[in-house]
Amino acid sequence: MVNTRVSAEKRHSRIARRNLINGLLFASPWIFGFIVFTAYPLIASMYYSCSAYSGLAAPKFIGLENYVQIFTQDDMFFKSLKNTMYMVVVALPLGLIASLALAMLLNQRVKGITVYRTIYYLPSLVPAVASAILWMWLFNPEIGLFNVILKSVGVTGPAWLGDPAWAKPALVLMGLWGTGGGVIIYLAGLQDVPQSFYEAAELDGASAVSKFFNITLPMISPIIFFNLVMGIIGSFQYFTQAYIMTHGGPQDSTNFYALHLFNSAFVDWNMGYASAMAWILFVITLVCTLVVMKTSAKWVYYGGGD
Amino acid sequence: MATAERSRRAGYARSRTIWAYVVLTLLSVVFVAPFYWMVVTSLKTDRQIFEVTTWYPDPVMWSNYARALKFIPFARYTWNTLVICVMTMIGTVWSCSMVAYSFARIPWKGRDALFLVVLATLMLPGQVTMIPVFMIFKWLGWIGSYKPLIVPSFFGGAFFIFLLRQFFRSVPNELSESARIDGATELGIYARVILPLSKPALATVALFTFIGGWTDFMGPLLYLNDPNKYTLSLGLQQFVSQHGAEWSMLMAASTVMALPIVILYFAAQRTFVEGITLTGIKG
Amino acid sequence: MPTYTSEHLGVRLRVFFELSVVVISACAACILLSGCRTVLPASGKTEIVYWTGWSGHEFDVLQKLVDEYNNTHPDVHVRMLSVFGSYQKVRIAFAGGDTPDVCSAVWAEELAGYAMRGALTPLDGYLAKSGRSLDEWEPGIRDMVRYHDRTFGLLATVSGDFIVYNKKAFKERNLQPPTNLEEWARVNDTLTVRAKDGSYKTYGMRPNGLVLWAYIFGGHWFEPETGKITATHPKNVEALRFLQDFAKKNDIRRMEAFESTFGSMETTNGPFFVGKQLLLPTGPWIRQFLNRYAPKDLEVGAFPYPAPEGGRKMCSNISGSTWVIPAACKNKDEAWEFLEWMMRPEQNVRFCSQIGNGSGLTEVANMPVMTADPLMKLSAEISGGPNAFGPPQMPVWPAYQAAIARAEDQAVHGNHDPEVLLKQVEVKMERELKRVQREAVY
Repeated sequence: MVNTRVSAEKRHSRIARRNLINGLLFASPWIFGFIVFTAYPLIASMYYSCSAYSGLAAPKFIGLENYVQIFTQDDMFFKSLKNTMYMVVVALPLGLIASLALAMLLNQRVKGITVYRTIYYLPSLVPAVASAILWMWLFNPEIGLFNVILKSVGVTGPAWLGDPAWAKPALVLMGLWGTGGGVIIYLAGLQDVPQSFYEAAELDGASAVSKFFNITLPMISPIIFFNLVMGIIGSFQYFTQAYIMTHGGPQDSTNFYALHLFNSAFVDWNMGYASAMAWILFVITLVCTLVVMKTSAKWVYYGGGD
Repeated sequence: MATAERSRRAGYARSRTIWAYVVLTLLSVVFVAPFYWMVVTSLKTDRQIFEVTTWYPDPVMWSNYARALKFIPFARYTWNTLVICVMTMIGTVWSCSMVAYSFARIPWKGRDALFLVVLATLMLPGQVTMIPVFMIFKWLGWIGSYKPLIVPSFFGGAFFIFLLRQFFRSVPNELSESARIDGATELGIYARVILPLSKPALATVALFTFIGGWTDFMGPLLYLNDPNKYTLSLGLQQFVSQHGAEWSMLMAASTVMALPIVILYFAAQRTFVEGITLTGIKG
Repeated sequence: MPTYTSEHLGVRLRVFFELSVVVISACAACILLSGCRTVLPASGKTEIVYWTGWSGHEFDVLQKLVDEYNNTHPDVHVRMLSVFGSYQKVRIAFAGGDTPDVCSAVWAEELAGYAMRGALTPLDGYLAKSGRSLDEWEPGIRDMVRYHDRTFGLLATVSGDFIVYNKKAFKERNLQPPTNLEEWARVNDTLTVRAKDGSYKTYGMRPNGLVLWAYIFGGHWFEPETGKITATHPKNVEALRFLQDFAKKNDIRRMEAFESTFGSMETTNGPFFVGKQLLLPTGPWIRQFLNRYAPKDLEVGAFPYPAPEGGRKMCSNISGSTWVIPAACKNKDEAWEFLEWMMRPEQNVRFCSQIGNGSGLTEVANMPVMTADPLMKLSAEISGGPNAFGPPQMPVWPAYQAAIARAEDQAVHGNHDPEVLLKQVEVKMERELKRVQREAVY
């Protein structure tokens, strides 16, 4: 009796050790790359955050002075954080729902669906500088397409990118239309839902809604989880469109956290301060992600278990 | 009775299909518009470019394309960009799938903690690591070559590791277990069970990596100091002068640049076959 | 006792082997691919790397000059590279210790920031050795390129800004180019006509840019002698009030909307070209745009920014790319020779006239080829005059500019008191200026 239990434990520890070695082996490219390419910049930026560093001369250690200044003297810190939270709370859910809806639509077994899928991906292929021009025209309060359409139904459209109250919604609208990337990921995920499940459900008389909520959603929940976490991380770092198009205006309504950070680093010559801002953002993002991951056990279903 | 039911079902399916087409077509007008506008602008004369509301060019300046392709060393830039994109595609797909396999299919101590570290590397804005990363490449002597753009892709990227991990975890345990019982090694399961079942995911990773390399501007700008090595995204900037740009040629070049991606996208779509057939599930 | 079977060992080894093979072959591929290095110049030649911020047309003009220099100077090879206007690349190169030998991608606004931190080579010794002097340059430039009594850069081109107008529109309405602010206000009101639905039938212009207007009113932003930030100068406040009043009297949002057809790109000239906008604040580069994009029958005149009573006439901001030699340059003598050659009148006139910018050298600015075009002539008069103001010689000017722009934004779109806003700017910049002093080398 004792022998079999002991040898069962030995077998488990042998398996565990083999798994550890295999696991590390397969992960070794990342581990190696982390040590060579990532660890030093992480440590360096942490050091910069506690330094007076212009990006030119060597950094000079000043302790937590940057952090103190951020919290006590920088009014733009809270404003930019609020602007960014807007994107996290508004743009992210909208984007997730929109790309999933679009993916469902593009998952139909109709002829020519491949052409449609390509069309929906085309917006991502227009280079940033060109799409910026186009969107600024679309949003133009006088002659832009949106307000012209609104005028034709008797509504005076807002000033969009020129109005502090409408600039962020305009950017959200613009972001929605570039959901091509998320759609592809969902489409790939939808391929993993076996037709047989749907057929079996149909035989039981399930409705389309029921099939969606009881089959589709759980089966692609790992992908939803991915898009959610990456969406959180990405929204917190929202930067490019504000940098190209609005430069933070009007009246700082699109001055997002990452833009304020960029300006601190490259306009104000205050790389140390920017690094402190970066690490604060890191902590915020990490906390949000951990919260999502903790709750994920309840709604994410992995076919591969655990 | 049964036939009536079947034909009712068929009719229902048909009307759903028509509805699907209607919605798809309407929405696709919205989505295709910017690309269409870009193509139209590339065919306009200089004077017409500022008339944003003209949705068709008249006359049609096909010569803009010839001019654009001669204005910059298009062939060389395309080749350079292809080299970078293909290498990073290979490196990313290979390394990220291996690492993702480790996080998804092998239970080992400390795995989830390390995975959190992987994720955490995405959470620090890149602007504050640009300088130390540059310094590393300078210390390695890689500034001025393609190495900073290609080599890191062989060591996994957190985004794709995360993505592939989610896909790999969705593969039912029974499949790998049965392979293991049949005597397969970890590498064998990885190569013969997981990878073939993840073709759409791998195609997506390849596609995204290619597009990332194809459109990357900051990387080539920072690390390349020889115009002979330039990529297409840097080439596009050569249409931009201090007080304006060669808009028609810029749009023409952008259109040409977009074509390989469209082709690649079509190719990737071929792996997106509805409902994979999972063979080998033991009842 | 169960041991690892040779099969397990074999598998692990095989995995490791396969991994190494791929990694090694990948690295080998990279090394091979990147092995096509630039052909090094023949032995004996010193290589000078020159980074320019220009791309496109201006880059081609520069390349011709660089080629000529290489042909006439056999023991030096100048290699030019464009950074496409990215000051990020320049900043990171400086930080990473990978600087070029000559760089003209340092904007005048940033010069003091680089200079103060010891990143640039002072040029006074070189100027004297080559028999050159800053007196050859326009007065406004002399102040711009010096920091704490040292010269840190030189400018090749500079432009004075002015306002162009549609001659036909003026003739139709019997208007004369305004000579002061009052006249300008009347002209602008006459030209700005709205339809019943609020859209613009014709449009004058919207004054903006507090930095400039403060100078026009007679104020200033910084006192180099005392190192004092003078954001709350009474004339600055007056200028901001002027901008605020204009915004209140006119529908400022509509005006901005009208002007934002192409957003931040310089190509907002569409409405002017088609005759809808009748006044346009711009610079001499507009000539190239007119030649290319405007209808042939568009007749254009220009007048300098109108000043109020007691303000500065013929006033403008001037700026440009500064040509510098980084402190880490290893071939300073050769770098200076190239820089000095580019700054000779014979080269400079070719460069400036071909890119349609004004010249920073007084001798060149007055050459017939540069003054043949009335727009260029006016630009040269303004930029060479006493009221051409470059960025003040202070290391936090970019942040200062941003703060001023924010104050203007708030005054024009809100109801804040100009004096209060400018006081906030002053306090903030005083703090910033103090903060960077601890990094001072010069």
